[in-house]
Amino acid sequence: MNRSKLALDLATYLVFFAVILALPLFYDEFWLNRFAKYLVYGMLAVGISLSWGYAGVLNLGQGLFFGIGAYMMAMSLKLASATSLQQGADTPVPDFMLWNAEPGAKTDLCCINQGSFLWIPFQDQWFGIAMSIAMPVLVAGILGAIVFRQRISGVFVAIITLALVLLVRLLVIDAQPVTNGFNGLTDLGWFTILGFEFDPYVVETYYLVAGALILTLTGTRLLVETRAGLILQAIRDDQNRVRYLGHAVARYQVFFFCVSAAIAGFAGMLYTIAAEFTSPTFMDLAFSITMVVWAAVGGRASLIGACIGAILINTIEAEMSETEELVEAWKAIIGFIFVMVVLFLPRGLAGFAHDMTDLALRSLGLAERETGTAARDVPLPAREEA
Amino acid sequence: MAQAALTIDALGVSFGGFKAVDEVTMIVEEGELRVLLGANGAGKTTLMDLISGKTKSTAGRVHLYDHDITNLEEHRIARQGVGRKFQIPSVFRDLSVQENFEVASCQNRSVFANIGFGFGAARRSRIEEVLELTGLADDRHVNASSLSHGQTQWLELGMLVIQDPKVLLLDEPTAGMTQAETHKTAEIINSLAGRHSLLVVEHDMAFVRQIASHITVMHLGRLLAEGTIEEIESNPEVRSAYLGSQGIA
Repeated sequence: MNRSKLALDLATYLVFFAVILALPLFYDEFWLNRFAKYLVYGMLAVGISLSWGYAGVLNLGQGLFFGIGAYMMAMSLKLASATSLQQGADTPVPDFMLWNAEPGAKTDLCCINQGSFLWIPFQDQWFGIAMSIAMPVLVAGILGAIVFRQRISGVFVAIITLALVLLVRLLVIDAQPVTNGFNGLTDLGWFTILGFEFDPYVVETYYLVAGALILTLTGTRLLVETRAGLILQAIRDDQNRVRYLGHAVARYQVFFFCVSAAIAGFAGMLYTIAAEFTSPTFMDLAFSITMVVWAAVGGRASLIGACIGAILINTIEAEMSETEELVEAWKAIIGFIFVMVVLFLPRGLAGFAHDMTDLALRSLGLAERETGTAARDVPLPAREEA
Repeated sequence: MAQAALTIDALGVSFGGFKAVDEVTMIVEEGELRVLLGANGAGKTTLMDLISGKTKSTAGRVHLYDHDITNLEEHRIARQGVGRKFQIPSVFRDLSVQENFEVASCQNRSVFANIGFGFGAARRSRIEEVLELTGLADDRHVNASSLSHGQTQWLELGMLVIQDPKVLLLDEPTAGMTQAETHKTAEIINSLAGRHSLLVVEHDMAFVRQIASHITVMHLGRLLAEGTIEEIESNPEVRSAYLGSQGIA
């Protein structure tokens, strides 16, 4: 990459980080809580960009990993809530398990119903945190190993992931005694580290999410700059060529699929902390597709573009849906924006920004030639001697 | 006699009874440049598919030096040292020329070993060498998608060369090239012979004259003849099966 472009890229990241870190100066806790959720959506879009933009794998079931992450965290937080702690037993028991308990069942996670023992380790909040990343990775690893070893690609991956998220959603709703069915897990306790309780409506919780996003975005960006990241992009372009260069294509695909799932699981965990609930709606088809739209609008080939796209769209949606004059029309306007972007900016906002920068750099004579042999002998624009 | 680099022993494949390649036996010696001739449907590309693992053979063995590489997974055969260039040039279109070469330079093949940045001095200078060899040094930052057809072929060839494979399989490396490009490709390929063993499928007879010392002719999945260009030209069976009555033009 051109040096001036690299500098611009770095500057974009730094400005973005500065902006999200400065938001608490301008907004109250109510808005900060909203923004925390939007930053989580931004994180989801980073995962989509990694798998769709960089790996060329369109995952229409990213909500599966988000949902798993959210549930794992919510189980721990549910057990930490006041209502769970006050069920008359020595150990916490979720209220919904009591409502549906068989008469005479022992009020304890071990045996209040057949599946309740699964909750026992979640009494440790760190177990919940670990599982909210480990479980999505495990599921992605198994799914990826099957799909990518069979060399399934393109639209078939999309269909498989789509079917899987719907299947799991059904299972979660069906396993009512363990998951509280379609009600999801509500009335959660607060996330606590070293005695500090993350009330969703304090600035610290916002910073927790913002810090996590900065970490994720930086880490993912560095990851795609590695040799493995380069091989991943090569696989996207022509996986057979990569295979005949001696690289184990499926392993790279599975690895990055797992990373993408880990990001989604992490996002789900943070969302639960900020929103204080989790529900099977996280695994609705519409939500998974919405994530893909965010990434498309922001620019799937750019991690930060997809991230900003998600945050912008959600902020605009919130603003518009609460503007009285637009109450009826806002969905149509958002839809119109989506269509316009896909029609005229196929590489999203990031692609547009990229082209504009190129244009600016070229007019300043800073850009390296990137357009092929034909442009070789075109002289750089003469700079004025000052 | 030189050592055998690639030994193909009674190799065959049948697709539902149709034998696309039937009991083909040949030896490519170390450093040799062997041209594979044959009319359409003679089984040349299928033979390359069998060697490189794209198609699983149903009979016979393939040895690379002392290693049996028959029907291994494609990437394992490649790791053993068999480089394959496809008939339709396949490169990474959204990556720059240099990045294409870098992908080929990632020699350590576990995912976690490649979680790191950049390349050592030896690999970097190897990339420079191949940029020079393929004449793409000035276009190193150009996206592969905006290269000319000939340049794309050289890029793919360069990716293979960077890996220093023991055996190179080239499927019509001059397909669609201009005369000047064909000439340059011949130079590149000639410079590779000696250090690598090459098996080249080619139709362009002028090109074959420029590169070949030894030719193998296939016909309907079987070996028809083997020999120098003069021997092949005068072989009556080859003339009737492939060259027609005019001989090599």
